[in-house]
Amino acid sequence: MLAGAIVPVPGSRNRERTTRAVKELSGKTAIVGAYESPRRDAPRVHPFALQMECILGALDDAGLTLKDVDGLCAASGDWAEGGGTMDVIELAEYIGIQPTYVNSTDVGGCSYILQAGQAAAAIATGLAEVVVISYAACPRWWPLSTPSFDPFVLPAGPGQYEIPYAPTLISTYGLFARRHMDLYGTTPEQLAQVAVTFREHAAANPQARLRKPITVEDVLASPMIASPLHRLDCCVVTDGGGALVMTSRERARDLKRRPVHLAGYGAAVARTQNSQIPDDLSTPAALSGPRAFAMAGMTPADIDVAQIYDAFTITPMLALEDLGFCGRGESGAFVAAGKLSATGGSLPTNTDGGGLSSNHPGKRGIFTLIESVRQLRGDAPGIQVPDAEVALAHGLGGTFCSAATAILTV
Amino acid sequence: MTAITTLPTLDETSAPFWEAAREGRFLIQRCPETGLYQWYPRAHSIHAPHATPEWVEASGRGELLSHSVVHRGNTRGDPYTCALVRLEEGVAVFSRIEGVAEADLRSGLPLAVAFHRLDDTISLPIFRPPSDAGASDA
Repeated sequence: MLAGAIVPVPGSRNRERTTRAVKELSGKTAIVGAYESPRRDAPRVHPFALQMECILGALDDAGLTLKDVDGLCAASGDWAEGGGTMDVIELAEYIGIQPTYVNSTDVGGCSYILQAGQAAAAIATGLAEVVVISYAACPRWWPLSTPSFDPFVLPAGPGQYEIPYAPTLISTYGLFARRHMDLYGTTPEQLAQVAVTFREHAAANPQARLRKPITVEDVLASPMIASPLHRLDCCVVTDGGGALVMTSRERARDLKRRPVHLAGYGAAVARTQNSQIPDDLSTPAALSGPRAFAMAGMTPADIDVAQIYDAFTITPMLALEDLGFCGRGESGAFVAAGKLSATGGSLPTNTDGGGLSSNHPGKRGIFTLIESVRQLRGDAPGIQVPDAEVALAHGLGGTFCSAATAILTV
Repeated sequence: MTAITTLPTLDETSAPFWEAAREGRFLIQRCPETGLYQWYPRAHSIHAPHATPEWVEASGRGELLSHSVVHRGNTRGDPYTCALVRLEEGVAVFSRIEGVAEADLRSGLPLAVAFHRLDDTISLPIFRPPSDAGASDA
């Protein structure tokens, strides 16, 4: 039998159960500092040095110092991130702090959203008071090779039945995109519209890697990388980094910036092997999304602005379905209708240009949180959605292997 | 084959699969309690976690579920086709498609397993059109 759909199962632990304790966590903590490095190229800069720029930037933004920090979250052990298997310890040492709360859970690109949700629980229970979440990577110059990086598994155990065929990261996204076309009639033009829309947003962001407007025809005319995905269906590859500071709602009141509260959070992991891709292309976002909305007491209709991980054009499309912004199989028509546009769309998405145009060092989930914070504060570097009060930050890891969703409010 | 640079690392669980592949047979696992098939091979049944799965020979026939032709990114030579193949027994396996032009690749295309002998231990299963006789070099 094929891998079944990923859905909340009644009576199991992954159902849409949200306990009173989880609902009480809603709004108890806040992001009080945020910083994105303007760098897109950082030649010969070690990723830890870039993380330090980001951590100090986020602390300055909050009006705090390293002396205030007792919690550190990072996932820096992957290729071009600079760390080994005990990366969070290496990073703490490099920074020069001895944190008593740490989290280096690595579930791919959405790790930082998962870490923010768990930091909220730690802060609310008193395990930590001021937590820094930090990320940087420098893939453009990183000199060390790590053969197992792509696609994240070893040619032993479960991976021995797949890695010898040399799947690429992009070809696995290609499997998803091709099947979406077969199942739901999605077209290459609809996929391309995602890249076109986010490039329109990037044009207004002076920090974005690529800012020249493109057309659907440009996307389709760009070289095929792994069918059906063209070069312009793929994210940019940049160096870069960012950091966030979180603390309690009470402490946030006395700090420099308008606090952005964590209203909802959910995360889930499901699979790594291609053979386990669910028949209907459902992803763990079908678990993380409902949990985040339930914790916040909200529905997709409440979201004013969204940042949805876009490693490839198919990436945000599946998330739109799993999160309930459209029905299963309807994301092609949804994006083609311009609904993601910040100028006239009903769900302004990836207002900074996203991974397709602004930046993508490898695990860009932290940037979905940072741009959400900027939108809610009204200090976005590019397009600003007016009067946004509820933001959604959503990421995935690997090839739809994991998902994490955060709902932020002011 | 293009870009086969990484061979599988065998273990106690996987050895019967690769020994059978060396003989040109494609094995999958079946749960002794539920009768349900599973892929990929594990030491336990995902349908009844305390049960030890049994090996059964698959028909080797299936159909194309999804595919992606790798043109750039990992090729040192010609493009190659990564694919998900739905076996007759119902499980999906990840493999390569050979002997089909890119323009002819479509969902539901009938396929049959063939084997490429890579060394004395490993014969790697790939899939071809069923009429493509004599494709195995196992």
